[in-house]
Amino acid sequence: MSRSSVWLSTLLLAALGGVAQAAPLGLPEVPVPTGNPQTGAKIGLGDKLFHDARLSADGKVSCSTCHDPDKGFTDNLPVSKGFNGLTGTRNAPTVINAAYMTTLFWDGREPDLEGQSKQPPVNPVEGGLASHDMLVDIVRQDPEYVQAFRDVFGVEAAGITVDHIAQAIASFERTVVAGNSAFDRYYFAADTTAMSAAQVRGLAVYTGKGRCVSCHLIEQTQALFTDNRFHNIGVGFKSIQGKEAETAAAFVREKRAGADVDVTVLTRANMSELGRFAVSENPTEVGSFKTPTLRNVAITQPYMHDGSLATLEDVVDFYNNGGRAMETDPLSGFQSGGIRPLNLTDQEKQDLVAFMKALTSPEFAARAQN
Amino acid sequence: MSKSINRRDFLKRGSALVAAGSLPLSLIEVAFGVSSAQNFTFAYISDSHITHIKGNRFVRNWDRGLIRAVAEANLLDPKPDFVFYGGDIAQLGKPEEIDHGLELLSGLSGKVHYVMGEHDYYADLGDYWKQRLGPDYYSFDHKGVHFVVLNSILTHEEWMHGKWDTGMDRMKQMARLDNPDGQPFMVGAAQRAWLKQDLDKIARDTPVVVFSHSPLQKIHKGWNFWTDDAEEVQALLKPFSKVTVLYGHVHQIQYNQIGNISFNSAMATAWPWPYPSTYSQVKTYLPKLTVEMNRADPFFERDATGWQFINMHTGNVDVSYVLPDNRNRVVAFDTSAGKPLDTQYQAESKRIPPQTHY
Amino acid sequence: MENFKTRCLAALALAVLCVLPAQADNFTAADLARWQDEYMAVVGKGEKLFHGGLGSSNTVSCDQCHPNATNVHPETYPKFQQQLGRVAVLGEMINWCIMNPLESDPLALDSADMVALQAYIHFERRGVPLDPGKH
Repeated sequence: MSRSSVWLSTLLLAALGGVAQAAPLGLPEVPVPTGNPQTGAKIGLGDKLFHDARLSADGKVSCSTCHDPDKGFTDNLPVSKGFNGLTGTRNAPTVINAAYMTTLFWDGREPDLEGQSKQPPVNPVEGGLASHDMLVDIVRQDPEYVQAFRDVFGVEAAGITVDHIAQAIASFERTVVAGNSAFDRYYFAADTTAMSAAQVRGLAVYTGKGRCVSCHLIEQTQALFTDNRFHNIGVGFKSIQGKEAETAAAFVREKRAGADVDVTVLTRANMSELGRFAVSENPTEVGSFKTPTLRNVAITQPYMHDGSLATLEDVVDFYNNGGRAMETDPLSGFQSGGIRPLNLTDQEKQDLVAFMKALTSPEFAARAQN
Repeated sequence: MSKSINRRDFLKRGSALVAAGSLPLSLIEVAFGVSSAQNFTFAYISDSHITHIKGNRFVRNWDRGLIRAVAEANLLDPKPDFVFYGGDIAQLGKPEEIDHGLELLSGLSGKVHYVMGEHDYYADLGDYWKQRLGPDYYSFDHKGVHFVVLNSILTHEEWMHGKWDTGMDRMKQMARLDNPDGQPFMVGAAQRAWLKQDLDKIARDTPVVVFSHSPLQKIHKGWNFWTDDAEEVQALLKPFSKVTVLYGHVHQIQYNQIGNISFNSAMATAWPWPYPSTYSQVKTYLPKLTVEMNRADPFFERDATGWQFINMHTGNVDVSYVLPDNRNRVVAFDTSAGKPLDTQYQAESKRIPPQTHY
Repeated sequence: MENFKTRCLAALALAVLCVLPAQADNFTAADLARWQDEYMAVVGKGEKLFHGGLGSSNTVSCDQCHPNATNVHPETYPKFQQQLGRVAVLGEMINWCIMNPLESDPLALDSADMVALQAYIHFERRGVPLDPGKH
């Protein structure tokens, strides 16, 4: 376990007194399910599991491999690299403020943090373990873990399940929340000096001509920067353009025959582009992906579900062109009704990028620089 | 890691999905209860209102709506037997608009049958539309079902053939929905006579599906959600045991049962209209049966727009509304109740806040 | 002594009142009728703007989605306006529609056109009770 993560969780626990957590500036209280209450010991256990590379087929991949606290809890790669250096199809989302998500993964295939953390260890291109049984066995081999699980869950080694592991990790992740960015101080704490003139102009673009605020929500008393919904903004559909019907039909046939959605979407690039459709089978959701939060976006590059946009400038151009990298690129027929050309001036584009840099929480900005 | 699924599980999952309004693309057969030669599917797209601005520019919003409907309709697997287009390809009946709309519709695989809308008709009394698409009223039979298409957006002869500076002046009068000087839609005596002799040729137990643009009911005269000779047309359909009227024009979900006739509306691909009951200055009527569509968030241009696919089973019509940026709906004919009902939201206790319009 | 003072003051007040012009709230039925006509003239102007008179860059007009100004709900403002992310007044949402579905430049909130649009919208909604904040 890295020293920096020990520091972080100790600090948090000291501040928290182990249980209740104050909402960060600009965010509401962290939702905690009644079935998995926060305790200091559980959070500490989850922290240890999150950083433990032994929980993989080659002993080299932990959650923190792709969700590195020093990189905004991402890996700053277009798509993540797991077991044996194998790559998947999707960009690692940040864990920071994931506690506020109402579904997890780019396609929302898990309803909560507890469900999410069970999938990567057993995905062939992530943790690579053959089954949850193998994951639990690794934990049972470690007497420190056995003691910790006894303390937290009151179970003996034989009684440890993958759900205990998932609950502990989720508890830790619920402490990985951060607000108090320059924007938060400006907007919610009336600190008019917190943002630069360009950032203030950028906020006006964000809530006006840029049309960002409708999906990356800023509201009157808090700002999640996501609506927790799924939209097709036109990223990455080229690989299935003109072949949506056959790709969708093939996917549904394989799913009916027992294929695991988690494995399919991370190992089959064309089927990955089906997005939310893979979960809902709703023809209106082909190519739709979940709105990520924009908090800390300046340190969680590259962007989009396939990591195909490298910089914030690229992102702004993509939206300004109406959902394409180049104005001459084709548009997806399944494009969200919220996407359209924006006709931003160069100044407006620059100001928008400047504003997005005002969304970094101070504790993570510092770490990303080191 | 793969889980085996037995047939019972996946059928249950399939029917649950159908109930929730999403399409199990490869499981359309599961929706049919009783096996019958009259079971088949067709797509129904309507009201694209393609609008020409200038030169090569068309209103992007309405173009995207039609493009979206065609893209989603092409996902249907197995392929539908054919497609019906419910009227108002164009906004002002200009040849550019009709051409551009038909170009976008050409992306559909399969045969398309067309219904005349007032926005296609009034600029030139249907000349260009008929040149490109053929007669504006006709009938045909398919797998034991008799399909009839009517032009129900005609109005008083004197007005249609009156003294107009330009056809576009007449078109613009009809284009304004809330026109206080509006003229009521009607099928007219000539078509009713044709309809009578057409129906005389078929057996009373042949299922009949009638396509018209206007509702063949009297819902709200102020917005021409209205057909003046609705009762006369309904009377011609009364002798048949299974009749469904499918109509466009209203840009919202409506369904109703009048005697032996089921009525189902189509959504527009272009934009939604409010329910007439939300106009506080007049008394209006909406079929009590109808559970209203979800209200739109105008940020999402496709919200409260969409298209539908129809499952015909044993001569009755089930309508699946495919509604992007929103939740799909299914209005299925309930044989025990003898009327179309929403499969999820019909009971008062199942309603959700977005269905409240005011 | 009191009585004299009071009567002097009363006489003075009466004299002042007779000399000053009619006070602000002394309006007649004819005034009311005229003011109503003035208002309806602006309602009429708003109706024209609403039905294509804004001359939007893409030809889309307000009445295409809002026949008889339905689904505008002026009686619910100010309200939290989802599309703006904050509590807003009706004029701001009108501008949102002008910029977004109508793809045109917004109006100043106190411009004659904005006032006329609101006059028409409210007129079509007369009699509906206030319900501020309602979504």
